[in-house]
Amino acid sequence: MSVFAAVLLGLAMGAAFGIALEKSRVFEPGVILGQMRLANFTMLKVFLTAVITGLVVLSVLHGAGLVKLAPKATLFTADIVGGLLLGAGIALAGACPGTVFAQLGAGYRDARYTFLGALAGAATFIYLEPALAPYISKGGPGKLMFHTLFDLPYVPVALGFAAVLVAGLLALERWRPWRADLGTGYDGVGGSDAAFHPVVDEAPGDRIGAR
Amino acid sequence: MPKFTDPAWSPYVAGILIGLLQIPAFLFLGTALGASSSYVTVMSHILGVADPEVLQIDYAAKHLAGAKNWWQVAMMAGVVAGAWLSARASGLRRDAPSPVWARALGTASPAARFSVAFLGGFLMLLGARIADGCTSGHGISGMAQLAVGSTIAVGAMFAGGIATAFALRRF
Repeated sequence: MSVFAAVLLGLAMGAAFGIALEKSRVFEPGVILGQMRLANFTMLKVFLTAVITGLVVLSVLHGAGLVKLAPKATLFTADIVGGLLLGAGIALAGACPGTVFAQLGAGYRDARYTFLGALAGAATFIYLEPALAPYISKGGPGKLMFHTLFDLPYVPVALGFAAVLVAGLLALERWRPWRADLGTGYDGVGGSDAAFHPVVDEAPGDRIGAR
Repeated sequence: MPKFTDPAWSPYVAGILIGLLQIPAFLFLGTALGASSSYVTVMSHILGVADPEVLQIDYAAKHLAGAKNWWQVAMMAGVVAGAWLSARASGLRRDAPSPVWARALGTASPAARFSVAFLGGFLMLLGARIADGCTSGHGISGMAQLAVGSTIAVGAMFAGGIATAFALRRF
């Protein structure tokens, strides 16, 4: 694919991605921080639904022989140390590397500082990479996938995992309906969760307070 | 049926839409959805102007050009546009920091929020590049491919996020 076509495709895919992030409210700092405080479950719901959809999509495409899987290598040190730093950053930023762009689009002024910090983080890594490479790019078992651990084909394991995740989401939704996590200003702040909003307790569109 | 002017859609509708984006990613680019390496592409070009020696670093050099790198940069630009259109359609434009920050940081000072945002962004990208992926690449894409390392990275990401969020002021 030419770079020009890839850019056009990227813009179109990004627009859909941005609409999904904004409409689901998962780009809201209150939603992301709320997830990390285990007080708001919107992020987990969007995330796991995207994983389930991906499992089904790849089962069809890979099962039909149309695409090859392209997993990242398993590198224990890099995955754990990098994951911990990434998670700490997500909590302080109230954003992920992708959702910060939705925050910029929606207008959040502090997201500009998150974005500048992220560019600085990328620049720091570029300079450190040659020194870090011996520790983070070696010593793993390679492109390990769960189904290969058990010597099984991808499709049944992927569909089985998808079914388990669907069951988990159904239970989660029963326990905590998604509208309860929207927040009074659709920002994940307020809503039904008392830990988030100890004084005013109202649902969106229910501002008079009638229950 | 969700409408474009709605302020919020079900997280399941949004999640399915995001998951479906794997179809063009795999079919046309031979790769999975991701976000964080786009910062390396942009930063390699910016640093390369001020310090051409940075282009001697293999890691910077391999992120400079090609369809996959520019596809991801374009996709992130598309996210800005999509979120802008969506917020405009529903009238939920944002400006000042979310009210969650006054509680989490214990101050409504914009300078305090901007500093924490910068630090958060820094750790976020440094961590994502060490782990070779973020919530998109390791999370949404890695777990959909049953990748062991991605699942470990997602566990570590939530562990780091939960520990940090609970260390912030009670909110």
